[in-house]
Amino acid sequence: MKSNFKNAIAALTFGLALSVAPMIASAEDSSDPIIIPIHNWSSQIVMSHVVGQLFQKLGNSVEYVSTDSQAVYEAVRQGDATLELEVWEGAFGASFNAALEKGGIHDAGDHNAVTREDWWYPLWTKESCPGLPDWKALNECAAKFATPETGDKGRFLGGPVDWLKHDAERVDALDINFTVVNAGSAAALWAELASAEKTKRPVVIFNWTPNFVEALYPGEFVEFPKWVEGCNKDPSVGPNPDKTYDCGNPATGYLKKAAWDGMKDKWPKAHTLLTKISFTNPQIAEMAKLVDIDEMEPEDAASAWLKANESVWSGWLK
Amino acid sequence: MTNNTPVISCKNIWKLYGANPESYMKTVNPNASFEEIRADGYISAVRNVSLEIQKGEMLVIMGLSGSGKSTLVRCLSRLVDITGGEILVEGENLSEMNEKELIELRRNKMGMVFQNFALLPHRTVLDNIAFPLEMRGQDRHECRERAMEVIKLVDLQGREDYFPRELSGGQQQRVGIARSLAIEPDIWFLDEPFSALDPLIRREMQDEFLRLQEMLGKTIVFITHDFDEALRLADRIAIMKDGVVEQCDTADKIVLNPATDYIKKFIEDIEKSRIVHARGLADPIADEDVSGEAIDGNATILELSRQLVEDERTNIPVVSGKGKLIGVLNRKKALDLLFGSHNGASK
Amino acid sequence: MNAFNLSSSNGLLVKKSFNLGTVLWMLALALVILKFISWTMGAGLPVWLSKPPNFLVWPFADWINAFFNFISEDLGLKSLTRLFASGVEWFLDITANLLYGKSRWPRIGPIPWTVIAVTAFMAGYALRGWKLGILAGGTFVWVAVMGQWKWTMETMSVIVVAAPLAIVMGLLLGILAWRYKNFENILSPILNLAQTYPHFAYMVPVIVFIGVGPKAGAIVTIIFAVPPMVRMSLLGMKKVPKEVIESGQMSGCTKRQLLWSVRVPTARTEILIGVNQVIMQCLAMVVLASFIGMPGLGQKLLQLLQALKIGRSFEIGVTIVLLAITLDRCSKAWAEKQPEHFERGTSWAVRNKMLLIWLGLMAVAFILAYFIPIAHEIKRTQAFSIAKYLDDWLDLFVRFVQPAADWLRAFLIVNILIPLREFYLWLPFWSVLAFFGFLGWRVGKLYSCLVCLAYVGLIGMSSWWDRSMITAYTVSFSVFVCCLIGLPLGIWASANEKRALKVLLICDTAQTFPSFIYLIPVVMLFGVNDVAVIGAVVVSGMVPMARYTIEGLRGVPTQMLEAGQMSGATTMQSLWNIKLPLAVPTIMIGLNQTVMFSLFMMIIAAFIGTQGLGQELQRSLSAADVGKGTVLGLCVAFMGLMIDHMITRWSKERKAALGVE
Repeated sequence: MKSNFKNAIAALTFGLALSVAPMIASAEDSSDPIIIPIHNWSSQIVMSHVVGQLFQKLGNSVEYVSTDSQAVYEAVRQGDATLELEVWEGAFGASFNAALEKGGIHDAGDHNAVTREDWWYPLWTKESCPGLPDWKALNECAAKFATPETGDKGRFLGGPVDWLKHDAERVDALDINFTVVNAGSAAALWAELASAEKTKRPVVIFNWTPNFVEALYPGEFVEFPKWVEGCNKDPSVGPNPDKTYDCGNPATGYLKKAAWDGMKDKWPKAHTLLTKISFTNPQIAEMAKLVDIDEMEPEDAASAWLKANESVWSGWLK
Repeated sequence: MTNNTPVISCKNIWKLYGANPESYMKTVNPNASFEEIRADGYISAVRNVSLEIQKGEMLVIMGLSGSGKSTLVRCLSRLVDITGGEILVEGENLSEMNEKELIELRRNKMGMVFQNFALLPHRTVLDNIAFPLEMRGQDRHECRERAMEVIKLVDLQGREDYFPRELSGGQQQRVGIARSLAIEPDIWFLDEPFSALDPLIRREMQDEFLRLQEMLGKTIVFITHDFDEALRLADRIAIMKDGVVEQCDTADKIVLNPATDYIKKFIEDIEKSRIVHARGLADPIADEDVSGEAIDGNATILELSRQLVEDERTNIPVVSGKGKLIGVLNRKKALDLLFGSHNGASK
Repeated sequence: MNAFNLSSSNGLLVKKSFNLGTVLWMLALALVILKFISWTMGAGLPVWLSKPPNFLVWPFADWINAFFNFISEDLGLKSLTRLFASGVEWFLDITANLLYGKSRWPRIGPIPWTVIAVTAFMAGYALRGWKLGILAGGTFVWVAVMGQWKWTMETMSVIVVAAPLAIVMGLLLGILAWRYKNFENILSPILNLAQTYPHFAYMVPVIVFIGVGPKAGAIVTIIFAVPPMVRMSLLGMKKVPKEVIESGQMSGCTKRQLLWSVRVPTARTEILIGVNQVIMQCLAMVVLASFIGMPGLGQKLLQLLQALKIGRSFEIGVTIVLLAITLDRCSKAWAEKQPEHFERGTSWAVRNKMLLIWLGLMAVAFILAYFIPIAHEIKRTQAFSIAKYLDDWLDLFVRFVQPAADWLRAFLIVNILIPLREFYLWLPFWSVLAFFGFLGWRVGKLYSCLVCLAYVGLIGMSSWWDRSMITAYTVSFSVFVCCLIGLPLGIWASANEKRALKVLLICDTAQTFPSFIYLIPVVMLFGVNDVAVIGAVVVSGMVPMARYTIEGLRGVPTQMLEAGQMSGATTMQSLWNIKLPLAVPTIMIGLNQTVMFSLFMMIIAAFIGTQGLGQELQRSLSAADVGKGTVLGLCVAFMGLMIDHMITRWSKERKAALGVE
């Protein structure tokens, strides 16, 4: 069955090549491998393999390289990595924009998925602070979130500073009785969460969706005053007339793909495919689950996902 | 080369340490003292030394530490370059040899034994001994065979696979000696070879060394700070102080006719009758008064003491080991040496 | 200084105590007192007294960025470095193909795991005997059975290229430095910097100059592993006794023979320590190098930690330690191995017995692998795992220790850490500057004084003064705790040989166990705060302290101890009055290493969350801001270099005074 399938694809691509041929003389992809960077979280790794296997179906060769998720934009700019599949608005927006400015990298379109990154608590926290998810409840039970290093104030455990969140400004603008402590990595966030779970200690931490944590620790985002355009720039927007950042983060952040500028010329077909690719939140969560919960290897997880979701991607190959 | 040409001959050699020894060398007064030179900012490790070493001879260079003896032997082997003067090895100028000639010389003619053994820690006894042969590029099997021969020579059979650290000091020095002999050198330098050993072992090694020398008959330059050792081994002794050879002569002559005050002081406490041989004290045959039973010239006066006391002749004939008459010994002179002269001075 | 000399005519006492050092000391103290008084009166010092004044803070970062762009783009240095990298990549492609079947020339891999395990066993057996054989073979069996084969081979494919290259380069550079004094003078500050400069600061430049991928991983590993090799070879070459060289000359060695047959082998003890260090450093870099493309264990480790799978990541940690120990023991055994002698005419089969056995076993393994898939590759799904038990144990441990940890955390933070941090930040800049100048003066007069002033001054000019002080605060407190634990541990362990060996093995393990794994349990225990950071730093920082204490105490000559015993000293008295004073110079080297380790860990601990330089480094990484990263990296390096300078200088003099060495 597999070989039939391959033939079908071959015929398909052949047809595609024929139809495009008159327009672009040398539309054939280079035989050099497309370098896909992988990072240290599962959804990204599986997604990279899913897309890699799609490229292979097009006849391209693919190689994976592990890189830091911040430094990768510099590598894409240099052409050492060909693309990046998960550009989170919140976490990597800054790196991505910095790289865009320097040149050599471009936006290859959004995923269907929206990302939300904000203050979040595991469900057991609600027992100590029943007013949640309304943010005003935080002030009332601040003492329950207090730690030695924050004194009487509650502690909010933020993400790494390089994700450039404006938590401290928000605390100030909304006059929340909290202190922001920044964790150095996502792993530190989860470690704190796991430790809190053992004694059901109430915590408020930075979290995002889609994320594997949702499956392990059910929880909710804190509801801040709704994001309004300009709330981060114009003090008059939002409940506090004198301060900026008096609102929650946008509940619908982008999740982009990025590509090296040279990709379009070197692997035109793969590039076209890349621009078409778009995953949804449940699809991304499913990919993460295959690895994090079902303990599959990323390669196998990718194959399994492709097999189960043929309807999703078959259209992109056309 | 005839038998009379010295194997090593050095003329007025100098070794100076300091900022610019070569140019200083041109201006220095050949008779300047150590202190004078030091005042100019230079250390004279070897100062105006002239020596000749004959084939088959054992020259012992004796001196206290810092006297320049180790430097002198390194000049002779060109481990250090001399500042002035000339060294001829078998008639060839050592300083003018290029790198290649020097290596050839060392690979075929010279061997050296070091005070602290200087063995290569990563090589076994056998490999240490074979090392100079390997450097010559000899076949592995030949190297091993030759090394085994030398091992037997120094009595280390059964230890060939030991590492230096597993041997006692005496055994390590046997390895050092064997290594220096492996290439069958003509000239053998020994730099205080027994100084690092215990007295008993040292004595044993000296005997061993004499045995070897009897067998091999090499030309030897032997360095020591131990006067007794020098006396036991030497054909001739060169005594050094502050870089200068104060006297170079046979043991008998040094004891009987010390050339400088330093040497006088040096031999002051020495039991001379134990050192001086009959041949050394004997006068040349003057005329007819030589008669009767002769004594062995190679015996020391101490060994002859009984005979000297009992014999009543004024002059006693002295013969060499082969029985040839070599001189006459004045009995009174000999008794004076034994018991001290009447005026209480042995000067 | 002339002014002070003038006043010295006043009297003997003045003459003796009045020098630059004292002046700096008084200055430091005066400023602190002044600030304290003004603080009690509710005022503060003017900012230019308290912090580095604005005119001194120069925009180094901008200059570096401009320079960096110039050399990488305009000068085209980039293509040169990339050319070199492609040379390294050629080797990497071969090993990658052989070990895990990457589709590159010679396209014959991957070699079945049974073959590699058998080979490892035979290598160990031929080098030392059964024990080493089982260790080496067992390591690879463990790897295969735990289902980490592919990751491990990915890692090994880089290490088997990087480690030999680092060893060869280190040895050659060491020889050059020994041969040419000028070269040593240029090289030595570069080596110092390479060892103290944090990795994160050179990640972006490496991406630009080399790219990402295994080659970049190999090259950062080499950069990191070469310095100790150079240092140790140089030391070894210098220590060869003059007589040994002379004996070589008298054996008729040519210059080349003298170097390779006499000098290098005689220096082998030091060179071997260098090799050991290279291997340890290579494995220490496994995780960090995965940030720029080194595949394998490190990358998996980060991924598993990110998904909070501690047990699984612990298994990887064990693999890394096993690999380190195996490689280290094998390389040592290889260097000590003596060639066997065979009599003339010994048959080929006897002479090459080991080779034949190996070939035979390999053939068996290949056949097995051909017919039985599991002998070729153990799939992840077929593998064992002890992760579940590990997770349970960790869980139990955390629950058990939690109350104590909570108390400790609260106590340390409220009573010690917060006040200490406030104090460091409160200290006037000029006071700190003068104080280190004074320390420098005490250690090495004018020269060291100027060195210290320059380092502290430059940090002050960097615009990261407060951040640096926070790092200084965490590092100094961590070092204090390291001494508090490491010193007694070392004293206890040095009591007898067996105990010492055991503790040293634990030290080796702690040093190679990837530090990232500590971070998670530490956060679980203490939460995200300075206690966790200090805890993580202490785990690896105390290792050199314990190690050098053991070595220092065991190195005290027995005569001295006997002299002490005959003077009627009790065990405690002889420890305090004889052993420790004599061991102090060695212990100080340990302290120096502890400071370096702590600085190194402090940057990694930024992954827990710190407010010091590490945090800013992370930020500069995401902005790919080379200038800022370099400045921050240099701040860290300068702290390390300054401490290194003072301790080395001091212990050198102390050693000379004691007549040790």
